[in-house]
Amino acid sequence: MRATSTSLTLAEDRPLLRQLADVRWTLLATAMLLAVVGLATVHSASSELASDYFPRQAVWVGLGLIAFAAMLGIDYQTLSKFSVPIYVAGVLALTAVLFLGAVRGGARSWFGFGSFGLQPSEFAKLSTTLLLARYLAGTNRRYLQLGQIALASGIVLLPMSLVVLERDLGSALMFLPVLAGMLFVAGVRWQLLVAALLLGLLLGALVWNFALLDYQKERVLTFLDPERDPLGAGYQLRQSKIAVGSGQIAGRGYMQGTQSQLRFLPARHTDFIFAVLAEEWGFLGVVGVLLLYAMYILNGAQVAIRARDRTSVFLVVGLLAAFGFHVLYNTAMVVGLLPITGIPLPFLSYGGSFTLASFISVGLILGVDLRRYVNR
Amino acid sequence: MKRVREQREDLVSRVPGLQVACATLLVVIATAYWRVQVVQGDYYRELAENNRLRRVPIQAPRGLIYDRHGRHLVDNVPSYNLLLDRSVSADLPRALRFAAATLNRDGGDFEAALTKNAGSSRFKPVLLAENLSLAEVAKLGVAKLEFPEFQTQIEHLRLYRQGEITAHVLGYLGEATETDLRRPGFSYRPGDLVGRKGIERVFDRRLRGQDGERELVVDSFGRTRDEHGREAAKPGLRLDLTLDLELQQEAARYLEDRVGSAVALDPRTGEVLVLVSAPSYNPNLFTRRLDNEQWQALLEAPHHPLQNRAIQNAHAPGSVFKVLMGVAGLSEGTVDSGDSVFCAGQTTIYNRRTRCWLRSGHGWVNLRTAIKRSCDIYFYQLGQRLGINRIAHYARMFGLGSPTGFDIPGEKAGLIPDTKWSITHRKSPWYPGETVSVAVGQGPILVTPMQTARMVAAIANGGRLVTPYVAAGSPARVVDIDVDPNVLAEVQDAMWAVVNEERGTGGAARMANVEVAGKTGTAQVIEQKTWIRSKDLPFEQRDNAWFVSFAPMVDPELVIVVFVEHGGHGSDAAAPLVKRVYESYFNEPDAG
Repeated sequence: MRATSTSLTLAEDRPLLRQLADVRWTLLATAMLLAVVGLATVHSASSELASDYFPRQAVWVGLGLIAFAAMLGIDYQTLSKFSVPIYVAGVLALTAVLFLGAVRGGARSWFGFGSFGLQPSEFAKLSTTLLLARYLAGTNRRYLQLGQIALASGIVLLPMSLVVLERDLGSALMFLPVLAGMLFVAGVRWQLLVAALLLGLLLGALVWNFALLDYQKERVLTFLDPERDPLGAGYQLRQSKIAVGSGQIAGRGYMQGTQSQLRFLPARHTDFIFAVLAEEWGFLGVVGVLLLYAMYILNGAQVAIRARDRTSVFLVVGLLAAFGFHVLYNTAMVVGLLPITGIPLPFLSYGGSFTLASFISVGLILGVDLRRYVNR
Repeated sequence: MKRVREQREDLVSRVPGLQVACATLLVVIATAYWRVQVVQGDYYRELAENNRLRRVPIQAPRGLIYDRHGRHLVDNVPSYNLLLDRSVSADLPRALRFAAATLNRDGGDFEAALTKNAGSSRFKPVLLAENLSLAEVAKLGVAKLEFPEFQTQIEHLRLYRQGEITAHVLGYLGEATETDLRRPGFSYRPGDLVGRKGIERVFDRRLRGQDGERELVVDSFGRTRDEHGREAAKPGLRLDLTLDLELQQEAARYLEDRVGSAVALDPRTGEVLVLVSAPSYNPNLFTRRLDNEQWQALLEAPHHPLQNRAIQNAHAPGSVFKVLMGVAGLSEGTVDSGDSVFCAGQTTIYNRRTRCWLRSGHGWVNLRTAIKRSCDIYFYQLGQRLGINRIAHYARMFGLGSPTGFDIPGEKAGLIPDTKWSITHRKSPWYPGETVSVAVGQGPILVTPMQTARMVAAIANGGRLVTPYVAAGSPARVVDIDVDPNVLAEVQDAMWAVVNEERGTGGAARMANVEVAGKTGTAQVIEQKTWIRSKDLPFEQRDNAWFVSFAPMVDPELVIVVFVEHGGHGSDAAAPLVKRVYESYFNEPDAG
């Protein structure tokens, strides 16, 4: 651990309880509030289905709280030390699921355990963030060099491409904001950013327009997203907008949304749960939940700002970038601003691995906050 | 041990940038929700309502129609249709084979129905077959578990009990056309059955009632979950006709193999008791959607069965017109009842040799005898003296040459010529020679049987021109004709003689217990050069036969007019029908 800074912040040794009291519990409180809203909405969205997803999601939230407590207890520095083996384990799990996994919704990204399933990609995202944080913390320059950027990208691209091979495009996309957020904080010359962006666009456009034939493009698109069906996606988007719009200002009332209760809206307990919320609670509910997400992100950012070391800053930024992107993409997709792809909404959507990973993420962030003082 | 804090300000300084970016994007997204939920909220709320509510009409039972004695003329009978719900079909070809075998129908028809509906939503059931028997419905019900795609639907269809006998009065129903849908004051929906012809059309609004509606809550599979609202159907009102079914049947039976029409009406009110047009058609054919072939066959059938000959066909009245000539002559003082004319069987008028139908001649005839024996020569001379314009004046006074105002629409006006008409319509002057023809009901003069019946009624009732109607309770519209009752009495007496005196032409209508008065008419279809008996002519060239009548002589209750196309002489072809109908009428216990 290098200590090149001259600015010193001293902390006295304090009892654990007082240290715990000084942590940003608002973060957990918002997470819990969102999880409660999520449970209620999952119940409403799935009450018409053969099985109510509420009890299962409640189990996942319970498991999530245990994982949260465990993460709070483990020092992130210890985790950081083991970040390479953890990362390797993540990659191995992603490789294994390619051969051994179960196919759900067209994607081979699941390990099935009876009625419960685990998605290693959710945990690989965490392990990748951990390794990337450790690596970037060691690059002690004002701006990153090209080689460093390449290496950082490589760390992300390896698991990401495995997820792409699993045909889980939504999950794969989520690696990019982690990389982008952390690189931004690490410092990338803006000229480089612009150049990379232009080069990427140019290469992509060239390959797409001249190297690929139509049927190949179709194959690529179908490969990336097996459920790609313009008509199907059109139906989903239309029903989602009808659900959202018909909620108007005050909503139709809990369990009273016709779009969700009469099953017009597909994927309503998972990726489109926010449409159910918008229908039943209206614009007021939408704003309320968006405010909760904003609170979560801003409080998390405060943790990053007062974190003890570079590793923890990167870690928190990476976790928040993933979280923020989930929230922004999902809510934008539900209202029709972005194309539909399988990206769930943290704490609201039904989903075991994702809920678990989200609570682990809260634990990691608050763990960083707990250990923000240089001396204990 | 004290540690020195790592240098991390460069990193931390960039975090607020991310915060701002994130917050900004959240605001952008919230704005998008504002737009969809608040600005366009009403639009999407309506789409959501359309998603979930299906409006299903409840068919209002159509009003029934009765004759004057309360006898059913029409029924609403339940009919079963077979519908196919493609959305729940597991093995469509197998299901279709099953249906074809169960209903013993051609599977090709089912395929055709499916092809026709290939473009519509899978959730919209396709009409596969109509008119299933109860046994077939039961068989499909038993197989419901195996073939859930089949639904049977009940529909109430119109059954005209008397079929062809009442076809031209009642009319029939048909699917609403574009014109119907735009008809002001009527709220027809596409696919509705509406009155096409006759009473069904005129009183459609009263008979159809008002369909109700069920508002069903359906899920995304179109399955009914709940009933949201219900507006009961208002049944159509019953309609009583002035028609007398027994008389109608009697007249129809007589005309069954003939071409022509019969009208019977009450000269006191204008109530129509009989209206038959032959050949007729079976209105029950129209109950289902008629296919093109059947329609073409009806259109091309000989003698146009769809035509209502009693009001839509105008013909020369022939000798029937002589009673009006008598009224005109007496009223104008042109003749006196005692004035006699010598009929030698032929005469020369305007340098043309003109014949009486009786070649041997009638000898000396006064008006009474001329009517009784239908002497042409007498009326040639009377016509000559009256002139066409005075003839036309009286003809019009008695309602000839214009629609009678009968409540079934489609009446022809017919034609009563005069000099003005000749100039304006023919662009040529009227020839006095034509007046002679018109005087015996030939030449350019056309009247409908209904008009003729109305004229006879006015003669019989002492000069009151009634408006015929068939819907009971219609306001009686009567016009008093400015004519001397004594004149009418003389003509009535002459008509009595036609039937009841020796050598009268209408003896065939004579009855033992009721005094019938009448007049025969035989209208030439072609100008005959030689005397050939009508029976020996080809059908289309045979004379048209008329018989007009009223009974009893005192306070007449019934006017009957019969017209048989190419029937030959009125006395042979038309009078027997009149007699039968009177017999039936006066033998009814509750006659009148």
